[in-house]
Amino acid sequence: MAGKSGREINATPQNSLKKKILSWEGGLVLIFIGVLIFGSVVSPSYTFTNVLREMPKYLAELFMMFAMGFILVIGEIDISVGAIVCLSATLTCFINRAGAPMVVQVIACLLIGLACGCLNGIIATNFTELPTMIITLGTQIIFRGIAEVSMGSGGSIALTDTAGFAKIGGRIGPFPIAFFLIILTAVIYIFVLSRTTFGRKLYAVGSNKTAALYAGIPVQRIRWICMTLIGLMAGICALFMLATTFGANTTTGQGFEMDVIAMCVFGGIATTGGKGNLVGATLAGFTIVCLRIALGQLNMSGQTILVIIGILLIASALIPGISQSISNKKKRAAV
Amino acid sequence: MEKKSVWKRITGSREASLVLILAVMLIVVNILSGGTFLTLNNIYQIFLNNTLTMLMALGMLCVMLTAGIDISITSTLAFTGMIIGMLQKKAGFTNTLLLFLIAAVIGLACGFLNGLIISKGKLAPIICTMGFMYIWRGLAYVVSNNEWASGADVAHFAEFGKAGSPGPLIVLLVAYVFFFVLMKWTTFGRRIYAVGSNAEAARISGINVDAVITWAYTIMGTLAGIAGAMSVSIYASAQPNMQYGKEMDVIAACVIGGVSMNGGRGTVVGTFLGALFYAVLAKALPLVGLDAIWQNLIKGVVVLVVVLVNVITQRAMDKANLERREM
Repeated sequence: MAGKSGREINATPQNSLKKKILSWEGGLVLIFIGVLIFGSVVSPSYTFTNVLREMPKYLAELFMMFAMGFILVIGEIDISVGAIVCLSATLTCFINRAGAPMVVQVIACLLIGLACGCLNGIIATNFTELPTMIITLGTQIIFRGIAEVSMGSGGSIALTDTAGFAKIGGRIGPFPIAFFLIILTAVIYIFVLSRTTFGRKLYAVGSNKTAALYAGIPVQRIRWICMTLIGLMAGICALFMLATTFGANTTTGQGFEMDVIAMCVFGGIATTGGKGNLVGATLAGFTIVCLRIALGQLNMSGQTILVIIGILLIASALIPGISQSISNKKKRAAV
Repeated sequence: MEKKSVWKRITGSREASLVLILAVMLIVVNILSGGTFLTLNNIYQIFLNNTLTMLMALGMLCVMLTAGIDISITSTLAFTGMIIGMLQKKAGFTNTLLLFLIAAVIGLACGFLNGLIISKGKLAPIICTMGFMYIWRGLAYVVSNNEWASGADVAHFAEFGKAGSPGPLIVLLVAYVFFFVLMKWTTFGRRIYAVGSNAEAARISGINVDAVITWAYTIMGTLAGIAGAMSVSIYASAQPNMQYGKEMDVIAACVIGGVSMNGGRGTVVGTFLGALFYAVLAKALPLVGLDAIWQNLIKGVVVLVVVLVNVITQRAMDKANLERREM
């Protein structure tokens, strides 16, 4: 069913069960179940409550994943988010030590993230010639640099009044609070991306910026919104980081940007823009979190999982291309 | 009239303006530090401390010329470095040349894998190299098996890169001369530029684009492998977390040197000046009274300012050209 442009045109939605299982998301569900089974086979302590107890350590990153999904869909990239988490967490520690009320700390943490993202966005929209990779490469060094300078020679800082953050890191029943918030964020982001005009505009921008501009879509404003949004999400991530670590140091958030991009790609979002959805990314995020917990309980060195994530990342990016070329060959053979 | 054209030539060429800025910076720092900066020993230190960045910047130039990027280099470095360290600690290898050769071959294989997947698998370079960034770093930890190779284990090998030894600088010099010739006067070098400027046009004119891209990443990998051995030699230790996150420094050095991320633009001289600029900056800050903790902040500001100024001058140039045409 290829159109004139060579793109697939699906006039009739195909909802057969086979199609659903064979889709990317279906595959991810299977992998997710596979990870859970793997975990419970290799370790007797891999139980529901134990997994939930371990979860908060890894959950904070997921907040940024949704906004990173938006950024990748519009064909941009942001590698400064790890540094934003570091800066946001560091400055919040200072505010905490100054004895500010909890509400002020939370708002400050979010606002710092927002401001950093906003700065990225302003540069990206005013200097459209520059790839966002270069811009965020520069701001990444700057944000972490500010955090390093403010922490001084010690290189780390701790909260003095941890009561408020302990509450944020608390749990309702067996579930950590962060878990509910992640689900809520996921629902909102998935809804916005797949069911609103704004979400569809993101795909338009990601598929073809020039065409989107001529179709009357405010491309630059959308880029700015997405980059600011991920700053805010990095602020939220910093908040939940503090709720588990009660402090920050110069390596806080290092590598987070790569982790969230990896989760998005594993979830089927293409870095070239205009492809993928957040249902897949959410599944991928939870799969990686559960895999980390499982390997952690195996007492495997934490770094071995890097190899597995790397292989998953490359494989998940290679598979669509390979299946595409196979189906092309089949079509040619049929003709 | 004559003066203006010289001025224009300087501001028009990336390399010339970098040399100018670098010269001004050196003079100012030298005066501020009371003449202690431009000593032979200090200059030697600057090169020795930045050998790894400068060496890998050459490979990054090749990769970025093909409109790609490689963020797996420091993981390749750690992986090869770890193997080199362990070969000495466990297997008793002591031949410096042989160890360097092994490192280069391992790096070559890593880079070749990158190149193959990117060119044949049509994967976005950042995704593919990000995957290998995880894999090689993870394997470095596996190889290390919770051990380090330290001073005594690599004592003989460390002779090559210890302070005062000319080894690393000779390697750098040879590498830069080799690449200068390669990129400027050989068919292969010009093909890299052709592929980066317009891959489609290059394909039609008979260049094997996939092969050129694979070669670019293979070169990058080989240099990262050599840098891995060099790192063990210079710092006299091998740890799985070495040079973590430093790939951004290499990219930043290239960007300052005028290498475009869209491919096709950048020179060996520019890369050298960019890396040198970055290196001098790091060394100069403590001498003018700024603590080491300020380094990253100032480096980041410099990177951002350089790329923004670049865009602004480009815009001004385009505008001036347009005005001339309208008259």
